[in-house]
Amino acid sequence: MALEFSPETLKKFEETVARYPKKEAAMLPVLYLAQQEFGCLSPEAIEYVATLMEQAPARVQGVVSFYTMFNTKPIGRHHIQVCRTLSCALGGAERIMALIKRKLGIDLGQTTTDGRFTLSEVECLASCGTAPMMQINDAYYENLNEEKTEKILDSLK
Amino acid sequence: MSFGIARWRTAFFASIRPNKMEKILLRNIDVPDFHRLATYESAGGYRSWHWVVENMKPAELIDEVKASGLRGRGGAGFPTGMKWSFVPKDSPKPKYLVCNADESEPGTFKDRLLMERDPHAVLEGTLIAAYAIQSHTAFIYVRGELAFGTTRLEQAVAETYQAGLIGKNIFGSGYDLDVIVHRGAGAYICGEETALLSSLEGSRGWPKVKPPFPATHGLFGCPTVVNNVETLAALPWILERGAPAYAALGTEKSKGTKLFSVSGHIAKPGVYELEMGYPFKKFLEEDCGGVPNGKKLKGVIPGGGSMPVLRPEEIEKVNLDYESVQAAGSLLGSGGVIVMDETTCMVRAAWNIARFYAHESCGQCSPCREGCHWMEKIFHRIEHGAGDPADLDLILNISGNIMGNTICPFGDAAAMPAAAFVKKFRDEFDAHIAEKRCTLRVE
Amino acid sequence: MDPVKITIDGKEVITTKGKTVIQVADELGVPIPRYCYHPKLSIAGNCRMCLVEIEKMPKLQIACNTQVADGMNVLTQSPKVLAVRKAVLEFLLINHPVDCPICDQAGECWLQDYYMQHDLQASRFEVGKVHDRKKTIFGPNIVFDGERCIKCTRCVRFCQEITKTNELTVVNRSDHSTIALFDDSVLDNPLSANVVDICPVGALTDRDFRFKVRVWYLQKTPSICPGCSTGCNISVETYQNHIARFKPRVNEAVNSHWLCDEGRYSFHDLAGGERLTTPLIRQEGGLVAATWEQAFQAVYSGLKGSSSLAAILSGRNTNEEAYLFAKLMKKLRADAMLEVFYQERELNEVEKILVSPDRSPNFRGARDMGVGSSDGFDGLLRRLLSGDFAAAFIVGEDLTKAAESETVRAALQKLSFLVVQDTRVTETSKLAHVVLPAMHFGEKEGTYTNRKGRLQKLNAALIAPEGALPDSEIFAQLLELAGEQNGYGTPEQIFAALAREIPAYNKLTYDSIGAQGIELDSGGGGAS
Repeated sequence: MALEFSPETLKKFEETVARYPKKEAAMLPVLYLAQQEFGCLSPEAIEYVATLMEQAPARVQGVVSFYTMFNTKPIGRHHIQVCRTLSCALGGAERIMALIKRKLGIDLGQTTTDGRFTLSEVECLASCGTAPMMQINDAYYENLNEEKTEKILDSLK
Repeated sequence: MSFGIARWRTAFFASIRPNKMEKILLRNIDVPDFHRLATYESAGGYRSWHWVVENMKPAELIDEVKASGLRGRGGAGFPTGMKWSFVPKDSPKPKYLVCNADESEPGTFKDRLLMERDPHAVLEGTLIAAYAIQSHTAFIYVRGELAFGTTRLEQAVAETYQAGLIGKNIFGSGYDLDVIVHRGAGAYICGEETALLSSLEGSRGWPKVKPPFPATHGLFGCPTVVNNVETLAALPWILERGAPAYAALGTEKSKGTKLFSVSGHIAKPGVYELEMGYPFKKFLEEDCGGVPNGKKLKGVIPGGGSMPVLRPEEIEKVNLDYESVQAAGSLLGSGGVIVMDETTCMVRAAWNIARFYAHESCGQCSPCREGCHWMEKIFHRIEHGAGDPADLDLILNISGNIMGNTICPFGDAAAMPAAAFVKKFRDEFDAHIAEKRCTLRVE
Repeated sequence: MDPVKITIDGKEVITTKGKTVIQVADELGVPIPRYCYHPKLSIAGNCRMCLVEIEKMPKLQIACNTQVADGMNVLTQSPKVLAVRKAVLEFLLINHPVDCPICDQAGECWLQDYYMQHDLQASRFEVGKVHDRKKTIFGPNIVFDGERCIKCTRCVRFCQEITKTNELTVVNRSDHSTIALFDDSVLDNPLSANVVDICPVGALTDRDFRFKVRVWYLQKTPSICPGCSTGCNISVETYQNHIARFKPRVNEAVNSHWLCDEGRYSFHDLAGGERLTTPLIRQEGGLVAATWEQAFQAVYSGLKGSSSLAAILSGRNTNEEAYLFAKLMKKLRADAMLEVFYQERELNEVEKILVSPDRSPNFRGARDMGVGSSDGFDGLLRRLLSGDFAAAFIVGEDLTKAAESETVRAALQKLSFLVVQDTRVTETSKLAHVVLPAMHFGEKEGTYTNRKGRLQKLNAALIAPEGALPDSEIFAQLLELAGEQNGYGTPEQIFAALAREIPAYNKLTYDSIGAQGIELDSGGGGAS
């Protein structure tokens, strides 16, 4: 049951750590590796990273809980993150959010039953000129309107 | 030799050129494939870097940048050359240069543009800055959400390693430099330089108490300089054309050009590059196309979500430079211009910004940790019709109690906009409280 | 050491470069409120309670992180400072549950204290407090209340910097920040309960002390921990003649600000048990109550008539008692073998910060007083178990715990005469021919000499039960019976006598010991 990096990931881990002046500085990239490998940063994953990084598990947990992009629980395949800060709000972000909630039948923080989408509200994504917009996993979808939003969601399996 | 003459020539021609400003930061932004090293170099890229490594001493370089008048473009506006000069030259500890690409200030998206479309300019600037402080390890800390920008930067770094522009014994000079692109994980506070350093050290993004200052005790207690993307991206041009050319642009105290991110109720949102001192009103009405749909301007934030909002009458005489905006009671900050028309409920806008700060507070010190969410809750209940007349003075009081009493400027960044919205739109707030609802018709 | 001249509240003071404003203020007794600052932990600077005004600096500065500079003018009572203290307190209180009626910290709570000293304003908060976990068990000795926590991070820093065990961390952000353990881990390092001492509020409280008694009813007596020979300085805090808790006293020469968990809770065992309240003499059917006169007579004749004598003193007996014990045993039998109980154990890395490997707080003092032989305690115990002795006088220790209990029991039963002097019934006392009821560390005044040679004073915090006598008086009376007229009365008088006789103690006086103790080789003089 103990979690472990695959040999390939372990190699990536070692290469990553080698680039930094001190091992502990590689904490964020290593956590990303773990999140990718294990799906989320569960207590087991955190404990494993702590061992690899030679840090106390409590410290790693403190770090994980601080940043919004680390998930401690599994999420859907497509993480929809709709920006809610001022420029996007002025541009109609609320309508887009309402549409997504309606279409997918989920509320903030929830995942569709088929595991396809998780919905979150996030703060400014540095895309204010193309508001309203959302981020899904690593991609930005900008200049949204209702129609565009629907199309995007339909296209994501 | 010829470099010096070339500088003189360009400065001379710049001074006789009519009003059309030559772009510095955005000059290559629409050139296809400009993120590729080959394209960048063919347009003259990395000539400055060559010049710096092969011909300049760090002290000369620092003096040159000081002479240019370049000030930090992240929001604080601190003179860049001076910041570099605070690094102790004879310290036995390794020195670090960090490019702050954690752009998260509401209304700001200029660094992202540079990272995505002209990453080599950002990188070259990073290298030049690293050389100035004799750092052998430079970091580019990119906010985690900007995956595409991160990829572009990583590709740029890989290309420069391959081309021998960075790495060991660059150009046979004996100078080594490594560059690490480091991805953040979602925290606005990591844009504050000491919080960024905490994060880079592998900890929670908690700002550090100052003193000591990063220039002497930064990353892992070593001398460190943190510069913004836009600041660094200006360096190749400054080195190529010379400090006087840069200093010839702008105003007495705000030299050069600045990128402005324009968003909100505006006809032509986007990133604009202006010579410092450009009239604000002209910028909005002409260059940005003014407020669309026949609506009237109601308020505009000049420098990102942390800066006080200005009423239309307040920007009549304001120019877009540090001093002029400060004189008007706000700050140039990151240059994130958020335009709000008459359909905007200012209570709701204030609440939106307050909510941002409540969410992004790192939670370390008492006034910010408790005060930000307190203000958000008060704004929220006003917005939802449960406000009390005493709430407004309470918000002003809380804001005043946070200002200046926190570990880092985040407290000020949360306090200033809250107070400004209430002060500038007091009537609207009063009405909203009295009527228990928004008294405008909101879309 | 560069001298620096600064002014605090109009008073000029010469101090040294490198000190912070708060350190200088503390030395002068100028009160500056603080939460996160602790002299033994790194600077956090997060509470903002110590903000002071410094002339020529536009913003208020935290005193804990501002180094003194020549010519600096510090104001700790200016209108700006008084106002910011109210502001900071208000911020700390808005999400605070203010559940003082059920909080153990009441009466020694820094939120209460500073509110009364610096605030006294009504709350303006009406928008719903943030909630957190309450009464959460963190470890065998610690319970956590997240709502009361002011996130000063003293506890986190303690576990990082002092014990280096790193159990605690801060999780989340903004006003959802809270203190947490990782997953199902436990805060149980050997110094864990110190976090209760350093927590300024009722966020971390002691499970042992929970709901026992309100702190303002406690009587506080300075003393020395009876746990081991480190000799940590403690405050014995009692209520209705019972010990409610130990708290550490600060002594940089011994324990700094700390106390180990074992020592902290040692009073349960050492001041507990079934108390002996009358002398007992063995008759046909078993141990029977007797008078002191009868008991003394029985002891004297029993030991005088024995062919060999082992005398074991507890490591918890004081120097004064040890001095008389040594005299007495030698008087009864010149070839008596004397030893102070001393057994060593393995210590882990965290214990080594503070704890000594024994459970005999005054073994060194006892040996200085002559309670010692060339074989050591191990040697004496071995000989006792081999049946080398006809008689034994055991004070304050249950010897069946010193080795395999059945072996010890068998050896003790073979003794022709066994005297046991103790506070409570033990497996050893049950085997005695005469049992003498005595007093424990909390009921007597006297001195201990710690492992490193520091002489420190115990004070009586409790009144012993009726029927028990102080150990020193028991020895003094037996000495009289043995023919030595003496004036051994109070511990002070006994100390004067032992100081005359024992070279290492020659230059010391009872008065000079003080609250912080004194080094043996310091040659006497004023209290440190």
